[in-house]
Amino acid sequence: MLALEVEGLRKRYGDLVAVDDISFGVASGELFGILGPNGAGKTTTLEMIEGLRRPDAGRITILGLDALRRRRRVQERIGVQLQAQALWPDLTVSETLRLFAALYRRRIPLPTLLERFALADKAGALVKHLSGGQKQRLAVATALVNDPDIVFLDEPTTGLDPQARLSFWELITQMRTEGKTVILTTHYMDEAEALCERVAIMDHGHIIALDSPREMVRSLQFENTIEAQLEGEVQMEALADLPAVRRVRRGDGTYFLHTNDVAASLAGLMQLAGRDGFAVQGLQVRTATLEDVFISLTGRRLRD
Amino acid sequence: MRGFVRLVVAQATLLRRNVSYWIPTLGLAIIVMMVFGWLFQVGTQAFSLGIVDEDRSEASSALVQAFDGLENVETKEGSRSHELNALDDGDRAAVVIIPKGFQAALAEGRSTLDVRYDASNPVRTSYASATVEAVVDGFNTRLAGESGPVIIQRQDVGTHRVEYIDFLTPGQAGLTLLWGALLGGAVFITGWREMGILRRLGVTPLRPAVLIASQGASLALLSFVQVAIIFLVGRLAFGVTIHGSYLLLAATLLLGIVCMLALGYIIGSFLHTLTSASAVANLLAFPMMFLGGSWFPSDSAPAFLQPVIRAIPLTHLNEALRAIVNQGDGLGDIWWNWLVLAAWGAAGYVISLRVFRWQ
Repeated sequence: MLALEVEGLRKRYGDLVAVDDISFGVASGELFGILGPNGAGKTTTLEMIEGLRRPDAGRITILGLDALRRRRRVQERIGVQLQAQALWPDLTVSETLRLFAALYRRRIPLPTLLERFALADKAGALVKHLSGGQKQRLAVATALVNDPDIVFLDEPTTGLDPQARLSFWELITQMRTEGKTVILTTHYMDEAEALCERVAIMDHGHIIALDSPREMVRSLQFENTIEAQLEGEVQMEALADLPAVRRVRRGDGTYFLHTNDVAASLAGLMQLAGRDGFAVQGLQVRTATLEDVFISLTGRRLRD
Repeated sequence: MRGFVRLVVAQATLLRRNVSYWIPTLGLAIIVMMVFGWLFQVGTQAFSLGIVDEDRSEASSALVQAFDGLENVETKEGSRSHELNALDDGDRAAVVIIPKGFQAALAEGRSTLDVRYDASNPVRTSYASATVEAVVDGFNTRLAGESGPVIIQRQDVGTHRVEYIDFLTPGQAGLTLLWGALLGGAVFITGWREMGILRRLGVTPLRPAVLIASQGASLALLSFVQVAIIFLVGRLAFGVTIHGSYLLLAATLLLGIVCMLALGYIIGSFLHTLTSASAVANLLAFPMMFLGGSWFPSDSAPAFLQPVIRAIPLTHLNEALRAIVNQGDGLGDIWWNWLVLAAWGAAGYVISLRVFRWQ
């Protein structure tokens, strides 16, 4: 059964088409990611699904219910963590959780929540005195007070330190093992790759790719990417003809050489630099990731 | 319902912890009462009243007698020139001149008294004029039984003697509601919107009407506490008595809160940043504060301002509060004030619910 089904969703703000006719489905129990640069339309898409914005066109079906018509029924069964940390600084942790719990018919007992999000010893602390990671955990806890069937997380790890991020990933995986459907947006490649079973890549309001991260990388047909900062006269054709290079893309002063044999391609690049007289200012070699999927689809990096 | 109760509790907690919000409003109210109360306490001190009887008739001496034995009033009888000189020197708060032919005119149904006040001390003057009118009123009432027509009719003096602090205390209560609820309504909703909390609540099954009602209820709770403290200070420090029904007073206060809150919500619905909303709320509250007659009566304001004054909800709130507190009036006397407040409140909620946005 599909937990979420979106068909022909569209939203425009004045002249800007924020979300342009997107359709996708998320299976029950799936961990689904929406990946894309800032302004790609990820948040607008989520907001329409969550009932915060009305789409200009399209249909949203959540747990078999028409989400646009039965908004409150749907909101009863979903949990949402928003991008901004929207919490009252002057309420305590348990006051906050009790307040959110009171808004729903179905509730998880407070001690269980506190325990699970490692907030038990902070139950009486004011929100403004919590650390960034604790606040983030509380924000997600508020999204789970009603034991939702679907959880929406909007850029949940943005601004967290690496350790907090890792423990957060554990929380998300745990939701997944409980059988909840989790839908998250992120602009972190590694996050999408590590967590999500399937990923939709969004750019300029469109879904430009939708598959499992592994399949996406495999479809690239190369294993590594050489990122080279080159200065001087550089012939794109010459780069493309280098040994083992499958594809060349050019960003802002950076050239992306997608290759199956790093050593051969690098040696060729150095030779070419000597022959054509351009300078190699910087080099970086890495295994192909979702970032390369994005680059190969758009010619841009995700974080630009 | 559960959500409503939790929201009220949470917001009351937030308000209580937000000391910088409620301490200044309450502190200001108490300081104003202390300062004005003591500053204008003249009214409670004895003052002298000069009486000039130029008629020397039965009627005139009956009137002179009526001034005798008043609490805090020292009556002096003398010639016109002597008493007017004393008035000039500030030794009399007022001089009542009973002109020649007073009794004769009275017999014909109309007679006049010449009352001169010392204009240099408005508070003492208002007290003196209230006293003179009360005495003349009483004189008229007694007379009405015998010789019929009432002679001098100036304005109604309350059944209870009203001193400035009695006038001020309900006015200050009204003003505190204005600041608390108007500013609260405008600022909290925009503050929550700015912090993204409204958005967060927008993805829950919570209805906007429940949110708005719960905010109203918690602000009402706070305002009740503040007003109770104000009346308590009035009572303990200055002996201000509430003559009317406490229930009616509470109901009027609640109506006032609902109305002011609604005005705040209109501001909050149209202005989406905290600073602009609080600026506009202040912009509205300040003229209301002065025109609404909280500290000084607004009856004497120029005629072109009167329509504005009559339209201001604070005017009606103050009038209703004073009628209950000072005169012991019932709903029959203040229904019009209630109606105006209710109309403002209803308009405010209709508008703010129509333009309400979670983000």
